[in-house]
Amino acid sequence: MIELSDITKTYGEGQEAYTALKGISFTIREGEFVSIMGPSGSGKSTLMHIIGCLDTPSSGTYVLEDRDVSTMTDDELAEVRKDKIGFVFQAFNLLPRTTVLRNVMLPLVYANVPEEERERRARAALVSAGLSEDHFSHLSNQLSGGQIQRVAIARALVNDPALILADEPTGNLDSKTSLVVLGTLQKLNRAHGRTIVLITHEPDIAEHADRLIRLRDGRVVADEKNPTPRDATQETKLYDGTDESVTNKLS
Amino acid sequence: MTTNDLVDETYAALSANKVRSGLTILGIVIGIASVIALTAIGQGAQNTISNSINSLGSNLLEVMPGAARTFGFGASGGRGSAKSLTPSDEIAIAGVSNVSLVSGEYAARYQIAVAGANTNTTVDGVNGSYATIRNITMAQGSFLNDVESQSLQKVAVIGSTVATDLWGPNATSTNLVGDKIRINNLLFTVIGLMSTKGGSGFGSQDNEVFIPLGTALQYFAGEGNQYLSTIDIQAASQQSMTQVQNDVTALLLSRHGISDPTKADFSILNQQDLVSAASSVTSTFTTLLAAVAGISLIVGGIGIMNMMLTNVTERMREIGLRKAIGATRADINTQFLAEAVALTFIGGTIGVALGWGASYLVTATGVVTAQVTSQSVLLAFGVSAAIGIVFGWYPARRAAALNPIDALRYE
Repeated sequence: MIELSDITKTYGEGQEAYTALKGISFTIREGEFVSIMGPSGSGKSTLMHIIGCLDTPSSGTYVLEDRDVSTMTDDELAEVRKDKIGFVFQAFNLLPRTTVLRNVMLPLVYANVPEEERERRARAALVSAGLSEDHFSHLSNQLSGGQIQRVAIARALVNDPALILADEPTGNLDSKTSLVVLGTLQKLNRAHGRTIVLITHEPDIAEHADRLIRLRDGRVVADEKNPTPRDATQETKLYDGTDESVTNKLS
Repeated sequence: MTTNDLVDETYAALSANKVRSGLTILGIVIGIASVIALTAIGQGAQNTISNSINSLGSNLLEVMPGAARTFGFGASGGRGSAKSLTPSDEIAIAGVSNVSLVSGEYAARYQIAVAGANTNTTVDGVNGSYATIRNITMAQGSFLNDVESQSLQKVAVIGSTVATDLWGPNATSTNLVGDKIRINNLLFTVIGLMSTKGGSGFGSQDNEVFIPLGTALQYFAGEGNQYLSTIDIQAASQQSMTQVQNDVTALLLSRHGISDPTKADFSILNQQDLVSAASSVTSTFTTLLAAVAGISLIVGGIGIMNMMLTNVTERMREIGLRKAIGATRADINTQFLAEAVALTFIGGTIGVALGWGASYLVTATGVVTAQVTSQSVLLAFGVSAAIGIVFGWYPARRAAALNPIDALRYE
């Protein structure tokens, strides 16, 4: 479904030129849960931008669902992002002072989904993302971090994208809340067959995926199956009962 | 993105910062309101002036004598002082085609007296047709007729100012018909009192006494001095005024034996010329007022641009997110442009209402009857929408051109 072949990305020109990606090639099949990890400066953000169709590679080809997106214009890329990709950001990026439902419906506005269908789909996405119904009409700034990130996941889901791209989704969350969010992603992958690419620099977050791709200095240094992915739901249960106050916040 | 969505998004964005939106709108409100109010005042002044010119009479031409000159380099007596118009000129003019009414005038100032009071004012000898030519209406009695003129009767029609000067402030409500007045020591009988007409330019007919032309020429002009001070002509229609003016000019030139029109011993004042001259002055004035108000509108527009630029910076991450989830450049451009246009449109609506209110207030003070025209309202709306587009364009373009990666990272 995702085919990257010999992707490079160079910023600047001449003496100042800096090559962030130096020939990346890999394939991600439908239904995979892949972690891309690497320290800062490894090129994982640049790679995320290219996979997310926010940027185009300097050379190489990127085929997303049988379409070559590596030479598309800005507006063509916007179309692809609208239909094929759901983003989950580290900084959440919900619209402030706006209800949960409206936030989730936002991608449908640009996708020209009829108004009466939007709310139905947004509710379904929120349920899949594990947010309880009584929070649907809350304003985004009245929610806890874990709830906010699940709203963001619902927003990524609502357009039924081919790929969910999560960029450090737990970066602003505490460990317990991180597990809840990871659990949500795992459930979407296992139960609903969603293709998920998780970008992180933390190994213990990355290990929740079924496949690990490690980057260093703009190259893939390892691409391997994870034989024993960590199970976020199980780990959450370890927290349960030990700290009631945290558990309450999460519900 | 449907229109409905656009309205929703615009409302949400503008109501997110009500004070800022309100102040920005206020700039436009002041601009539009001043444009509306000032053009209304200008328009009102224009109407007042043309109305007062038209109240002089309809389709009016006035023939006046030229300047009296002695031969050589002698002193000029000033325009109107020459004795060049005669009662026979008046009769000849009546024969010109499309002339519906003619009245000669012999005017001079005399002392008017009744028992215990006197005044000095213009005594105007005219024909019966003068009342129609000059739109005179009567409060009491009737106007002069041609029989009185031919039989040299000593009768007078007086203006309301003359009446109050002679008989006190309540004179117009008492019956004055039949009263006697002395004009230059000759006894005249009052046969009518004219309705108050109000000031019309420099002279007011309210402060005049009218007597039959024949009587005036007989008793005041004297033997061998049978000249008219003015001949009033009413043309049959507004369209025929130029033709009448040309024909009368040609007629008088030939009657006075003058071959060079530049040496004419008379001049013709065309009421239409007066109206158009006056309205060109007032419309220049109106344009000037509108231009001054327009400057405040531009300042309001700059306020819009300022707010929109601040908005783009503040909402950088929101723009990044919208782009990430599939908004195109056009979507972002439209959204920000819609916000700017909404601000100016709301400002325009309130401004029109406020300007209208201000015009009513000005009218209520009685100085000028301000008139809000539908053109100025339409223009105000058009201009305010245009300002939204012009001043919203640059911020919207900036927002649309943002790179989503940079916008998402913006702190």
